[in-house]
Amino acid sequence: MIMKTEYDVIVVGAGFGGPVAAKKCADAGLRTLMIERARNAGEKVISGLTIPFYGFLFGPEFIRDGNPPVERPVDGIINYIIKDIEKGDIDIDDSMRVPSPFSPIFAFGYNAYCEALCAWEAQKAVEAGAELRTSTTVTDVIREDGHIKGIVTEGGERLKSKIVIDAEGSQGLLAIRAGVREKYPPEVISLGDTYDYEMPKEDIDRIFGHTLRFCWGWDEQKIAPPLGHGNGLMLWPYRNSLHFIQDQCLRIDQKAVPNLKRLLEEYHHNLTTKLPWWTEDVAPHVTLRARMWEGFEIYVGLKDKLRSMPNYTDGMLLIGDAAGLESTELCDGVPSAWFSADIAADVAIDAINANDTSKGFLKTYNERIKAHPIIQWSISGTNRYNLRIAQENHDEKILKKFIHNAWGLGSLIHLSSPLAKIIFSFIRKDPHIIIKWIRMYFRYYYNWHHERYDTPGNKGGQGRAARGVKVCEATFRLTMWLMDSFIKVFGPLLKVFAAIMIPLSVVASPLMKLLFPIIEPIYLALVKILAPISRPLGKKMIDFVIRADPAIFETPSSRKEL
Amino acid sequence: MVKTFDEFPGVEWVENAGDFIKVDSEKCTGCANCIKVCLAGCYEIVKKKARIKTLEKCMECGACWYVCEDDAIEFSWPPGGTGFRTNLG
Repeated sequence: MIMKTEYDVIVVGAGFGGPVAAKKCADAGLRTLMIERARNAGEKVISGLTIPFYGFLFGPEFIRDGNPPVERPVDGIINYIIKDIEKGDIDIDDSMRVPSPFSPIFAFGYNAYCEALCAWEAQKAVEAGAELRTSTTVTDVIREDGHIKGIVTEGGERLKSKIVIDAEGSQGLLAIRAGVREKYPPEVISLGDTYDYEMPKEDIDRIFGHTLRFCWGWDEQKIAPPLGHGNGLMLWPYRNSLHFIQDQCLRIDQKAVPNLKRLLEEYHHNLTTKLPWWTEDVAPHVTLRARMWEGFEIYVGLKDKLRSMPNYTDGMLLIGDAAGLESTELCDGVPSAWFSADIAADVAIDAINANDTSKGFLKTYNERIKAHPIIQWSISGTNRYNLRIAQENHDEKILKKFIHNAWGLGSLIHLSSPLAKIIFSFIRKDPHIIIKWIRMYFRYYYNWHHERYDTPGNKGGQGRAARGVKVCEATFRLTMWLMDSFIKVFGPLLKVFAAIMIPLSVVASPLMKLLFPIIEPIYLALVKILAPISRPLGKKMIDFVIRADPAIFETPSSRKEL
Repeated sequence: MVKTFDEFPGVEWVENAGDFIKVDSEKCTGCANCIKVCLAGCYEIVKKKARIKTLEKCMECGACWYVCEDDAIEFSWPPGGTGFRTNLG
């Protein structure tokens, strides 16, 4: 047997981003190898948390139109601003919530365990024809005349490829080894100390629903990690568990490295013994199931020198955290990993077809990353970083402002332009995307409720017949048909409209900033006033979704998949 | 073979990970930054120099490598299929 040691593309790492690149390359008919150092994809990835909606809507098609395993749809964030824990003086900012009747079907994002989702993605790449080699550590690249021509494994095996896509995560050992970028300094790295607690689903439904809880506090209280280090305590409700993370940068700017081991233990102890809602509502229902941690890059995007480090070289592209694309504010890295993997695959396919994998050709990758509205927005948010100003001055007003603008409704101010731009960009390509987006939301909720995922051995929800919701089903079908017909007739006009709106979207954020002081109170008042109507309507919508025939929520590719 | 520790539930360590992190005692000035950030307690100071006590609970986060001011820590990934693993991350 002749070993196949020459590939078109080798993807290093089967976390969130790697399989997306591998699948797209394999779909294009390229000989693709994905190498993972763990025994199974995703089992060295910490931690899952919430993958925001934009990752699903604007990310890889097979995820948007598929049935990936997720732990819980999320409808928003409650921020606890702990002014004095001993006196129980705690303010709340819960302005960022998807309102009824849309919550939780039209989710803000989806919580997921890394191993389950990464393994699902890797399986899709394999089904597309990519080869997956696990339990293999890549130690070096093959260089020929300064051009990367493949990789070297720990056993000294040399595997050649036209392009290497590096998806190994923040540490970027291969990227550094290849001379593409430098090691990141400790002030941009956060240590995420993670606890996973088992909790009965009915208790989570009752106490948390679909809402995340974040805590922020002053250093001296040692209740939430020092704001100066960037982060507070964050709690994510999963299906039958709570995921708890406290994280801090390894140091602030050039200051001394704090004793994080001692501090994190102290914060965790204080939080679980002093925070009223933890001691009263959570503690009686939870059992610690896991504790783990990860060092992930968080502020690369805010440092010009680091942000401008190359993400490509001759024959090699860096994606996701390896390319410094972790969000600086929401702290999520998955959407950018997906976006950059998608772009890297496009560029790799073009480069191989053009028989040119030089830097000169691959620079398109960097240009597209720099032009991606959501990636650039997510690596430029400064509210989390600037919490240190509130901390230094002990300024409650500034503290609340930064929290509101990052994890409250104020975040819409900065998000408006990039969001408008990407929505119109997608509509310009194909207005039918709107129907896919709507179906995705309904299908994901159905899937979550029935645990119906496209994973080996999963039978949840299959073969269900509609029960007592025929009228709603007919209405849904009719609505989709009407939308489809409208788009078929007016599609060209919609495309022109979107093309006009793309450049105009630049004014959305400044306009939002100007009008926000008026819009926000009106919006919040309306949500309150309409609650008696919108909440029952929301319940009816959930009742319909969970009892409906899931076939009506499927897009052609998701139907084929099941 | 797989090891577990009560201190860190939900995580397993596949054995034979070897010395994937090394400290160059010539370069180390004993600042103890590695000890401050290592939640697994992998390091100790002996004769004013940091050295690896054990890597058996290491989660490969790289925090020690990032904070080493003397560039004395050599960090690499453990051999394929070894080291920590979890399905709860």
